[in-house]
Amino acid sequence: MDGVDLRSVSAWTTGYALLAAVLVGLVAHKALLRLADRLLEAIDSAIERIRAPRTRSAVAAFLLLSPALAILGLFGVVPLVYAVRISLFDTRRDIFVGAGNYARAWGDPEFWRSLSVTLYYALGTIPLTLAISFCVAWLLHRAARGRGFLRTAYFLPYVTSAVAAATVWRVLLRPRSGFVNVMLDAIGLPMQDWLLEQRGVLHILTQGWIPPGVGPSLALCCIMAFDIWHASGFTIVIFLAGLTAIPRELMEAAVLDGAGPLQVLRRVVLPLLSPTIFFLAVVSGIRAFQSFNSFYALTNTSRGADTQNLVIYIFAQLYESQRYGYGAAVATLLCAAIVALTIIQWRYVGRRVHYE
Amino acid sequence: MTPLRGFICIAALTGILAGCGNPASESGRGGASPRVFKPIDETAVLFWDRQTLETADLITRIAGEYNAQHGGLPVKVEHLGDYSDINRKLSVSIQARELPAMAVGYDSMTAEYVQAGAAVPLDEYMNDAEVGLTNEDRADFFPGVLATSTNPAFGGKTYSFPFTKSVLVMYFNKKVLRAAGIEAPPKTWDEFLAQCRLIKDKTGQFGYAVDVDCSTIDGMIYSRGGELVRGAESLFDQPASVAVFEYLETLAKEKLAFQIQPGTFDDRDEFTQGRVAFFFRTSSLRPYVAAMMAQDPDGWGIAMIPQAHLEAPATVLYGGNIGIFQTTPEQQRIAWGFIKYFTSPEVSARWALGSGYLPLRKSAADHPDMQAFFKQWEYNRAAFDCLPHARPEPNLAGWQEVRTLVERAGSQVMSGLKTGRQAAMDLKQEADRVLAAAQ
Repeated sequence: MDGVDLRSVSAWTTGYALLAAVLVGLVAHKALLRLADRLLEAIDSAIERIRAPRTRSAVAAFLLLSPALAILGLFGVVPLVYAVRISLFDTRRDIFVGAGNYARAWGDPEFWRSLSVTLYYALGTIPLTLAISFCVAWLLHRAARGRGFLRTAYFLPYVTSAVAAATVWRVLLRPRSGFVNVMLDAIGLPMQDWLLEQRGVLHILTQGWIPPGVGPSLALCCIMAFDIWHASGFTIVIFLAGLTAIPRELMEAAVLDGAGPLQVLRRVVLPLLSPTIFFLAVVSGIRAFQSFNSFYALTNTSRGADTQNLVIYIFAQLYESQRYGYGAAVATLLCAAIVALTIIQWRYVGRRVHYE
Repeated sequence: MTPLRGFICIAALTGILAGCGNPASESGRGGASPRVFKPIDETAVLFWDRQTLETADLITRIAGEYNAQHGGLPVKVEHLGDYSDINRKLSVSIQARELPAMAVGYDSMTAEYVQAGAAVPLDEYMNDAEVGLTNEDRADFFPGVLATSTNPAFGGKTYSFPFTKSVLVMYFNKKVLRAAGIEAPPKTWDEFLAQCRLIKDKTGQFGYAVDVDCSTIDGMIYSRGGELVRGAESLFDQPASVAVFEYLETLAKEKLAFQIQPGTFDDRDEFTQGRVAFFFRTSSLRPYVAAMMAQDPDGWGIAMIPQAHLEAPATVLYGGNIGIFQTTPEQQRIAWGFIKYFTSPEVSARWALGSGYLPLRKSAADHPDMQAFFKQWEYNRAAFDCLPHARPEPNLAGWQEVRTLVERAGSQVMSGLKTGRQAAMDLKQEADRVLAAAQ
């Protein structure tokens, strides 16, 4: 085989094999469909033979759910279990440390700092995203013309790649020559360091009255603004769907009974929209705790303690410090926090949701 | 099943699985055992490199030439982003027990590969009668360059070889300096500060665009006669280090300098557009700056970074080394052959001319093409003249993490979040904690 590249031969062989498989599939697909039909019939009749109705429905439910469960198990539960497992080891030295990595996180100021950044971010983005999105959705809902176009326009940021959009934002927010600073300078306002500004936004707004380390930094606020802009398209569309589902007669009846626009909104629209609000609050909460792309793409590194959320911290432990055990422990804690938060939301906020 | 119950089930399942063995070694818990690795690619000697554009093409061509001259498996170059990207990928590969034959990296990264049992000591190849280095070869390498490869923390063994070396230099824009009535670039830190003030007064512009990079700060500390570590203890609380952070504080407070976004080349862009007078970067950036200043080739220059003591100048020697990893004896032998070929006088000179990196050997610097290049432009020699005064950064395990802390401290000072002294003292504490944990 002198002079012949074995890798190219292998690539050709694979190509031919794939082509052959496609051709066989095209020819044999009817036979395969028949086989699948028979298999389903056999399963169906096997289920029918189960006498107890509860067992029968349970088996049927399990069989219907099994493909989804298999995928979830393989790509969700197995990695989670593996992560929890390696969190019990010092992977650098290959030794079992039990809860050592968790104890270390408890005593690590960097962990607590990252947690506070995560909480600032969640508290800053979730309510604002929901409020802004609801207002836009309400206006769009009432708009007589161009609703489709505006809905697409608002949805556009959401379908744009977060990394690509963040790169554009980075250029706009460059310290000296960025578009935003050039505009500020043009109207006589002081330029800002934006994504590099580690001082608290409260310190800047109060001109030094509040200490610089208090509250979220201006850089973190820039990340929040980006995420609100980027995520609001999704929430607007969901709100719009929720608003469209509210029967118009209910609002008309309220108006006939003398309710003003604000009363209609408060007494009719918001209660009927509460399942949507609740769904979006849960989803946004989970997303806020898992946020990574915008932090990484806008700040590039974990250099700024003020913009290092828990996920960036985990990333730094895994890929910059090679502490897989410790990184997995922090990831497990984050997962537990998200589960706990979701349970709290279901238990306490979920009760207030009004289902029609 | 409620979410809480589900979570408890997962935790219980994990507890059971955790008893089934060590996830890393599968060799039983409680004791470290030698790790066994295999090559990622068995059909080629895989080399993970960081070069881009023209330099990436050049290194691939050099590998092609080596493959044509030598039999056996071919060297295959893969360009994987910067040193940090390669470091991340290697750390994952170590966990997966599959490695490339060689990769570039900083020596602080190599220290971590040694700890993981993934790096191969090069001493047996270097001392080999047939394929090793002769005494003449060793004497031909610039002393500081070869010294970066020996790690005292690992019994003085050599786990990496100098590959692409450069020095920290100062780039100065003559046009901006002239506009402020300045004739020559600064030689001392006092002159640098005075010139920045003059530039601000006369032109209203910033003097210096700061890339808050650990190597730059390390170079500033060296240039003030300071040291970075003693054993595994950092020296950021020492006068030279405190003076550097206080100097940055002065530059930021007086609005003489501004920080650029990390990971960008905004300093170079501001410089080439004539909006700042100075920036400090690796000498290997020279070809890129030259290309951007092609319209005004005499409008800029390169010089040694300012110093506190002109009689004992110092700067940082940086750039990557190359390491060989545990794969197969054949792959490792070919990898060493490639390294030796790449650092041979002829190829070293060609690489230096094509890339902007420094020649690693005296014979490469004396090469007629290299000498012609030095004469071509008055500043072409500037980086090479810094080489005798260039010092490597620490290659301790944990230093990679300390680099992030140094950059964070620098950013905090530039932001006005901390004073220079406070940042230096906090950095000392945090760096010592990291270094102690890593040893």
